[in-house]
Amino acid sequence: MTPLLLAAVPVVLPFACFLLLGVVWPLRHTGRPAALLSSLVAVVSFLAALFAWEGAPGAGEPALTLTQAWLVHEGVPLAEVGLRLDAVSASMLVVVTFVAACVQVYSLGYMADEPRPALGRYYAWHSLFVVAMSGLVLAPNLLQLLAAWELVGLCSYLLIGYYWTRPSAGKAAVKAVWVTRFADIGLMSGVVLLYAQTGSFDWSAEASPWVAALLFCGVMGKSAQVPLHVWLPDAMEGPTPVSALLHAATMVAAGVYLVVRAWPIFAAAPDVLLVMAWVGGVTAVVAAVTATVQTDIKKVLAYSTCSQLGYMVAGLGSGEMLGGYFHLTTHAFFKALLFLAAGSIIHAVHSNELKDMGGLWSRTRFTGALFILGSLALAGLPGLAGFFSKDLILEELFHAGLYGPLALCLVAAALTPFYMARVVCMAFFGRPSPGAEHAHESPSVMLAPMMLLAVPAVVAGYGGYTFALSLGLDYHFALTPVGIAATALGLGGIAVGVARYGFGRLEGIDLPGVARFVRSGPMDAAWTAGWRSVFLPVAGVVGWVDRYVVDGLVNLFGWGALVLGDGLRGLQTGRVRDYLYAVAVGAVVLAAWGVVGGAS
Amino acid sequence: MSGPGLEAWLGLAGVMFAIGLYGVLTRRNLLAIVVSVELMANAANVNLVAFSKFGGHPSGQATALFALALTVAEVVVGLALIILVARSRKDLHADGLQELKG
Amino acid sequence: MSDWFMFSLLGLVTVGASVQVVRATDLVHVVLWLALSLVGTAGLYVLLDAGFLAAIQLLLYTGGVITLMLFAVMLARRDGGAVPAGGSAGTLRVLPVVISLLVLVVLAILGGGAKLGTAPVTPQQLGATVMDDLMLPFEALSALLTAAMVGAIVLSRRKDA
Repeated sequence: MTPLLLAAVPVVLPFACFLLLGVVWPLRHTGRPAALLSSLVAVVSFLAALFAWEGAPGAGEPALTLTQAWLVHEGVPLAEVGLRLDAVSASMLVVVTFVAACVQVYSLGYMADEPRPALGRYYAWHSLFVVAMSGLVLAPNLLQLLAAWELVGLCSYLLIGYYWTRPSAGKAAVKAVWVTRFADIGLMSGVVLLYAQTGSFDWSAEASPWVAALLFCGVMGKSAQVPLHVWLPDAMEGPTPVSALLHAATMVAAGVYLVVRAWPIFAAAPDVLLVMAWVGGVTAVVAAVTATVQTDIKKVLAYSTCSQLGYMVAGLGSGEMLGGYFHLTTHAFFKALLFLAAGSIIHAVHSNELKDMGGLWSRTRFTGALFILGSLALAGLPGLAGFFSKDLILEELFHAGLYGPLALCLVAAALTPFYMARVVCMAFFGRPSPGAEHAHESPSVMLAPMMLLAVPAVVAGYGGYTFALSLGLDYHFALTPVGIAATALGLGGIAVGVARYGFGRLEGIDLPGVARFVRSGPMDAAWTAGWRSVFLPVAGVVGWVDRYVVDGLVNLFGWGALVLGDGLRGLQTGRVRDYLYAVAVGAVVLAAWGVVGGAS
Repeated sequence: MSGPGLEAWLGLAGVMFAIGLYGVLTRRNLLAIVVSVELMANAANVNLVAFSKFGGHPSGQATALFALALTVAEVVVGLALIILVARSRKDLHADGLQELKG
Repeated sequence: MSDWFMFSLLGLVTVGASVQVVRATDLVHVVLWLALSLVGTAGLYVLLDAGFLAAIQLLLYTGGVITLMLFAVMLARRDGGAVPAGGSAGTLRVLPVVISLLVLVVLAILGGGAKLGTAPVTPQQLGATVMDDLMLPFEALSALLTAAMVGAIVLSRRKDA
């Protein structure tokens, strides 16, 4: 099979599965068979993506496309829709399908206790997500990317709100949609502006920096940059595998992917890149600080994801594409691993809270080892994947002379190991809390995907050279002062964390002051205030205009017709003499026209 | 040219027509209105005959002949209707007929 | 010169009678003034060398129509009780219309453009025209008159036996 057809598999096959599960409700209600079907489809999709990547064109070679003209007007289509396979999309497709397959297999164990119809629903949404994300990755232009973006957001909403009987889950789902929708105003404006300026949705066209700026607004929403990150912690209401797939590895990375895809547009807008570097840096630090005081293990990982996304954005802001994109791929692996391992812990102790854990090392050794491995990868331990990609970003920032963002990223580099060490110590070491006493290891259906993810978490870093080569970019690994400083900070962070939270101490859980401030939810409060004071009045005005001006104009015609009719009615008196008078007047008018007007 | 010319005759017919029109629009009795219509028709005939004389062509008189017969027929039917109205309404007041009021 | 005299005399009589038609209050008076106006018109026809038409005018109009109208007045009086002729009303709005019409007529007359000839029209010519060129309208007219007669009878028939 040609690479292009192989690349089509992750779009077509899961869509068929989704349709099947959506329409054939007896199948969906069987629960486990539906789950197995979806998981099988996901695995097949991954294998297809793998072979597609192998056969994909390298850098410098033309991309393989399979497209269909859409909305043809006078021979010119509005856009092409279909697939575009090149180095960037092929690699991303592999990442997406790999994590998706792991997560779906993992869910067979994690969600085993769910009622059967609910399980079928869960897997239907998962299949749809694979379709949407693949459609986004393989999009040949910004229009299809935008459409897939929205579809992915829909899947996020559906899956966050999976436990729909919980009010907090529904609110979290809506909040995610609201914030990303708000950001998407910018995104859609950017796409429209691009079309207006260049007449196409192609990202290789010449466009003004405004397009890049508007597109970045959308990126800020989807990839949870400060201040639009507020939806990501709430998204943890969804099942843990969903958090692993959507809100760690793939969906939130869509924003970063957009920047990589539309790189010509961004490369031509250095001011936007500068803003991106700063926003990324700020996000990295703010999120890292917030992560240090969280008591819910998933919230820690959520803020960690947010922080790492800030890293990626900052890396892209340096003007180099490779660092951010490389970190996207490595992060996908070890963060998904961390989430799945966290899910394993949650499954063992039946709680998300760190205080309900403790002493799990002896009870769940596999999970523990894998979690620690993921944490070390995240912290950037030399030799593991995260080290290479993080280092590359820091190098890029240094070379670009962006010392401010660089400093922020270094601070985050110190905090990341710290809060991960905190989690590791509090979960796996020390005295177990009552709930943790009876913890047991997870079934192998859950452990196997975790182990699979652990592999690239370790070795992906070494693939950096070939990765860069396939993209046509330069990559040399060199140990520079920046890298050494970062590594030192990382090790220092681990040390401080272990020292503070220790191999047994559950006391001193929080940094005082910081916790109080963070817990007060300043970001959310600010957004709510802004909403009330700005957005609602504007919406009120718009609504008024719609009701009284737009509708008023239409109603005016109706009212005018009624008034005219009533007025003309006065002519129909029913009296003979009045009618005679009208005839006489008409006759005189005609005669006048004949005498004075037409001189025939 | 001795004697009144075409203009004088047409003017006379016009005056007669105007008087008839005044009567049609002003009178309140149905019969009086019909009588005024007669005046208008008569004036039109005068007009036609005058054109016949001053144009030297018989078509004016012929038309006047036909118009005269038609007017008679119209009066016949009109008077029959007036008698019907008088029977049902007990008076011939024009303003009393208001059934078509919209 | 005598032409002008006769024209003025007959014209005055006809117009005067017409004025009285629209002014009189008693219906019978109205019909009688109409009779005078029609007779005056017959005279005017004679002046216009239309003797045949004058005779027909007297026969049909003053003979037939006036009789009909008198009958109608009497019958309406019997059936509907007192039938007041009523005065005039709404003069204010009517005058502009009538005056405009007069003005337009004058303008049209002064506009000129009529083709003039001099040969007088004889009854033979009139008869030839009617029976030759206007044969179809003639026949149609007879059908119309029949229809009018039948219609009038049907309309005014009393429903009870």
